[in-house]
Amino acid sequence: MATALEQYVTMVQNLSASGNLTQLCDFINKSTDMLTKNASHLDNVFGTLDMQQTSLGVLGVLCVKYNLPLSNTSDIDTLLVQTTEFLSKCNGEQVRYATDSYAELCHKYAQTLIDRKMYSSGIAPLSQAIQKIQIHPAQLTSIHANLCQLCLLSKNLKPALRFLDIDITEISREGGRFDAKDYLLHYYYGGMIYTALKNYDRALYYFEVVVTTPSVAVSHIMMEAYKKFILVSLILHGKIINLPQYTSQVLKRYIRPLCQPYLDLASVYAQNNLADLRTTLTKHTEVFNRDNNMGLVKQCQTSMIKKNIQRLTKTFLTLSLTDMANRVQLSGPKEAENYVLHMIEDGEIFATINQKDGMVRFHDNPEKYSSPNMLLELDKEMQRCIQLDSKLREMDREITVNPQYVQKSTGSHEDDMPGTSTGPGKIQAY
Amino acid sequence: MPMTSFFQASALEPMQVDVVEENQNVEEEQNYLVENASIDLEHYASQFTGLARLNRLLFIAEHCNSLKVEALRMALNYTMKTTFNTTLYQLIHHKLEIATSGSRGGASSSGQNNLPDVASAINSVDTQWVEVTSKKAALKLEKLDTDLKNYKSNSIKESIRRGHDDLGDHYLDCGDLSNALKCYSRARDYCTSPKHVVNMCLNVIKVSVYLQNWSHVQSYVNKAEVTPDNNKEAYQSISSRLKCAAGLADLATRKYKSAAKYFLQVNFDYCDFPELLSPSNVATYGALCALATFDRKELQVNVISSSSFKQFLELEPQLRDIMSKFYESKYASCLTLLTEIKDNLLLDMYVAPHVNTLYTQIRNRALCQYFSPYLSADMRKMAEAFNTSVNALEDELMQLILDGQIKARIDSHNKILYAKDVDQRSTTFEKAILMGKEYQRRTKALILRSAVIKIQLHVKSPPREGMQVEMSIAPASASSVVRN
Repeated sequence: MATALEQYVTMVQNLSASGNLTQLCDFINKSTDMLTKNASHLDNVFGTLDMQQTSLGVLGVLCVKYNLPLSNTSDIDTLLVQTTEFLSKCNGEQVRYATDSYAELCHKYAQTLIDRKMYSSGIAPLSQAIQKIQIHPAQLTSIHANLCQLCLLSKNLKPALRFLDIDITEISREGGRFDAKDYLLHYYYGGMIYTALKNYDRALYYFEVVVTTPSVAVSHIMMEAYKKFILVSLILHGKIINLPQYTSQVLKRYIRPLCQPYLDLASVYAQNNLADLRTTLTKHTEVFNRDNNMGLVKQCQTSMIKKNIQRLTKTFLTLSLTDMANRVQLSGPKEAENYVLHMIEDGEIFATINQKDGMVRFHDNPEKYSSPNMLLELDKEMQRCIQLDSKLREMDREITVNPQYVQKSTGSHEDDMPGTSTGPGKIQAY
Repeated sequence: MPMTSFFQASALEPMQVDVVEENQNVEEEQNYLVENASIDLEHYASQFTGLARLNRLLFIAEHCNSLKVEALRMALNYTMKTTFNTTLYQLIHHKLEIATSGSRGGASSSGQNNLPDVASAINSVDTQWVEVTSKKAALKLEKLDTDLKNYKSNSIKESIRRGHDDLGDHYLDCGDLSNALKCYSRARDYCTSPKHVVNMCLNVIKVSVYLQNWSHVQSYVNKAEVTPDNNKEAYQSISSRLKCAAGLADLATRKYKSAAKYFLQVNFDYCDFPELLSPSNVATYGALCALATFDRKELQVNVISSSSFKQFLELEPQLRDIMSKFYESKYASCLTLLTEIKDNLLLDMYVAPHVNTLYTQIRNRALCQYFSPYLSADMRKMAEAFNTSVNALEDELMQLILDGQIKARIDSHNKILYAKDVDQRSTTFEKAILMGKEYQRRTKALILRSAVIKIQLHVKSPPREGMQVEMSIAPASASSVVRN
């Protein structure tokens, strides 16, 4: 039996050395059965093969090992250690020939960690794993979702930001294995990470991406994301922001009716009445608790108070704290003072409190848009826009020189029907 | 004899699907009672003829207890004298019976003096009249029908048209509005001169107003207006009627500004449209809509210095005063006067549903105008000028500021309203930055989307098991973090 394994080792070594990696992938895929049969000797193979030189061979072995029914904790521990080692040492050039198995390995690895509640130990290896497999930093892989999940579970959110802050421009196909679920989960978890860090703007964008994903069926991830989308939108803008035109009909027809408590909340929110909001909140407490959204709902309540105070700044120059408490339906001047104080500190309003007579004096925004810092900021914004614009042009050019596109657009219109999704018409229309 | 009652006919006309829809806007404000109306019913009713008089009397009866009996009795008499409408007669009689029995009970407790008067006035249903009238109506209908058939077999266009018109008139007399409308509309195919077309349009408009089918009214007004007509004298009167109808339709559909414009164009000398509106109606509707929607300059040019509308306003001296008070910025007395006539307005079937909206708009306009020349205004004086307390005024102003109607801010400490000077430069910067952010966001989303489309990713029905289970676990376990 050992001979088959020896043969595997030599084959892997030869093909890796000769650089014939496509053939090697085929060979490894075919050897899965053989490896499974020789499960007991796999550690020997693992030890023999060099991770840097023959990454694909090791990858094959590890994948098989994850599929084995391992009951022994020490076995699993070894496996986890082996994977961690592999992920840090493997050769990116090589494993890119087998992105599907690589992603598979990472999923299994992450799942095992989650089962064993060892969330934080996976963050660093997976970050490395992503960087190894990516062709460029703006490429999305299915491993992103795993990393985000681990970060959330370990309540250590910062490591994920390195990847989340980059705007994705390309998605790795991973041999056709890349699933809508990975995509949805990445943006859903990403949204949650940003929400937890109170970067609501970005969080809202992430949730929006989830709910606008093309779809023909109801996805639970989309539904949960829509709920959070509503809440974050309320916190940030005080209303549900409009979704773009290309939002799937599924959302409107099937998902929205399932989120009625949240829509109720939004419509009550629009009336700026705190008491009504509280009633609605109590009415649907059970739903919010079940969806684990209670924290966000409570933040909605706070945000409404803040929005109401901000509205006052538009209409009043001075206002007594007692009056303010009445208008915003707070318990008393003390609470009002507290809110105003915090809002001034956070730069949400510009005001001064006169404690002697309990008056608040609202000011205009002191920003005059003439300081060097502001100009620098403006310049940065413009640069970003220009970059995006050039990216768009580049994409447009790519399409116009795409042979398939040229063929189709010059050819007769009858063959124009299927798969024109890459046409520039689409992009402009959106 | 058409047996459908008048009220059924107006609600369930199968040809006009949108009737019900339009009525809904109005219905919400229909349940109220007016106590202190000061209307001379005799005079009021004499301004109208036909169904207009009946409808208005019935509307008053519906909403004013003190005038109820009198209004119903007048309606009853008028029905008997001038129409073949037996169903309406029975309906009014029924209402009158209820009303008198109610008021008799009230009268016996409070005083005896009007008891004999009321009691004597109520006869039982005049069955003889009902029978005779029904018979007469049926006979006439038959005669008109056969006439029409004869004309048709002879195919003389003019006679057929007239036959249709006569039949329509008769149906109208009987209170069968939908059939009347049908007959009038059928006459359309036999019109040979512009005059006939206009005539047909006027007939259709009249019935459509009774049916409260405003979109119909508007389209026929347009149709009549584009029909060329050479006769100057007739043109003046017809155009005035059309303006009245168009104004009414716009009022009913809450386009107050264009309603005001239409009413202002009505020529006083030719305003003779008792089947629809009286000149004083034109004055009221026009003045109210103008006050609510015109700015100061428009008011000056189109209303106050308009010689033709001045004649209308003379009919309603109170409104004339209101108008001039408003223009002279004496808002307190203007608003008091408005409150005084409110009860009467609530008894007018066309303007009643809009009284509150119009009043609010007038008040808001007054507030805006009061403040417009000032840089800062003392709210105490302002409250005095508007007959209100400082606090109430503060709330009102707050609403107006939030709506963007007044550009100002309130100094609640010193009770002073300051005009807000907007720094155009800063706002432009703010807007630009916002726009830039929005652009970035959209573009990023689009680039991502094109990547998604490129690999043809979309959510589809999953291979059943596995997927959903995993999903529901994952968000739950992870979202606990967000709560902190």
